[in-house]
Amino acid sequence: MEAYDPAAHYDRVTEAWGLLLGEELHYGLFATGDEPLAQATAALTSAMIDAAQLAPGLSVLDVGCGSGAPACRLAQEHGVEVLGITTSEVGVAAATSRAQGLGLDGVRFEQRDGTANGLPDASFDRVWVMESSHLMPDREALVAECARVLRPGGRMVLCDLMRRRDIPFLELRARRREFAVLRAAFGAARMDPLSSYASLAAAQGLEVDLERDVTAETRPTFDRWLANTEAHRAEVTGILGADSVAEFEESCRILEAFWDDGTLGYGILAAGKPA
Amino acid sequence: MTTSTSRRDQALAALQGFLVGAKKPADVDDATPLFADGLGLDSLETAELSAVLEDALGEDPFSVGDEMPQTVGEVLDFYGASAGADESAAAAL
Repeated sequence: MEAYDPAAHYDRVTEAWGLLLGEELHYGLFATGDEPLAQATAALTSAMIDAAQLAPGLSVLDVGCGSGAPACRLAQEHGVEVLGITTSEVGVAAATSRAQGLGLDGVRFEQRDGTANGLPDASFDRVWVMESSHLMPDREALVAECARVLRPGGRMVLCDLMRRRDIPFLELRARRREFAVLRAAFGAARMDPLSSYASLAAAQGLEVDLERDVTAETRPTFDRWLANTEAHRAEVTGILGADSVAEFEESCRILEAFWDDGTLGYGILAAGKPA
Repeated sequence: MTTSTSRRDQALAALQGFLVGAKKPADVDDATPLFADGLGLDSLETAELSAVLEDALGEDPFSVGDEMPQTVGEVLDFYGASAGADESAAAAL
């Protein structure tokens, strides 16, 4: 019997999600809506890089680093040193393996909680939070920790799904099945308005200089994810199972509807710590 | 009184069944908070509990009024006073 290897399993599941979501495993930022998903996901990363104002030699904390792909890209293309943190032990193993495979010295990964990271005060020039904050319910603690570890003059950049309006309880109740499908596919998430992230950052003494609603520009992502599902159905079904794939497809359609009716969307925020 | 006590028991059974399904501790008492450091229900779980209670009892305390129940006891009280409360009221008379 083959021994179960959590890191190998994580790699396999990550590979399957890569087939569905694209290699960068996050939303795309579409300029025209016609470009390929890979170009659009790279554009979102580039928008974050621009907002972060990266420069060689800076130290970056990647909060919720996933499989380590963005951290490795930042180190390779911008000459920064990156510490990626995630609560997933197998995520750390997979990301470390990725960095070693690329021969990167300036990238390391540790198992830490973004809402209580245990890192020294003022120890990073940049804090990078890419599409991970919706999985950290204690949003105030997350932003407080990001601000705490930034050096004076440092910057925090964050992008994620956002809630664009209040959802009254009775509406939430009526649409609970839709939200439950999203929870099953993507985990227990909570979305807040972009303005609430800005308020939290300001409350921590950061100066917000970018609040960008990119809901319209991210909208074509769902078409691409559904097309990827069709293109790789047999392979991803073999790894994730038919139920998970069906949940993912339904989630894409639900998210499209939420995007279109103004319930959910996507935003980018950047803030600096006064020098 | 028998009816209201019975409805309270039904509500407790429905609540505990929901908690088991939601993988939360079902060993609760009247003082157990529903949110945060208590059962930690989020908004979606609260909506789901609301529907479970309505399915079981025809109405639920989350969908009426302006204020949400905050504890297990406040949910159960919507369906009838507790036996202890009934006894206290009877003694007062």
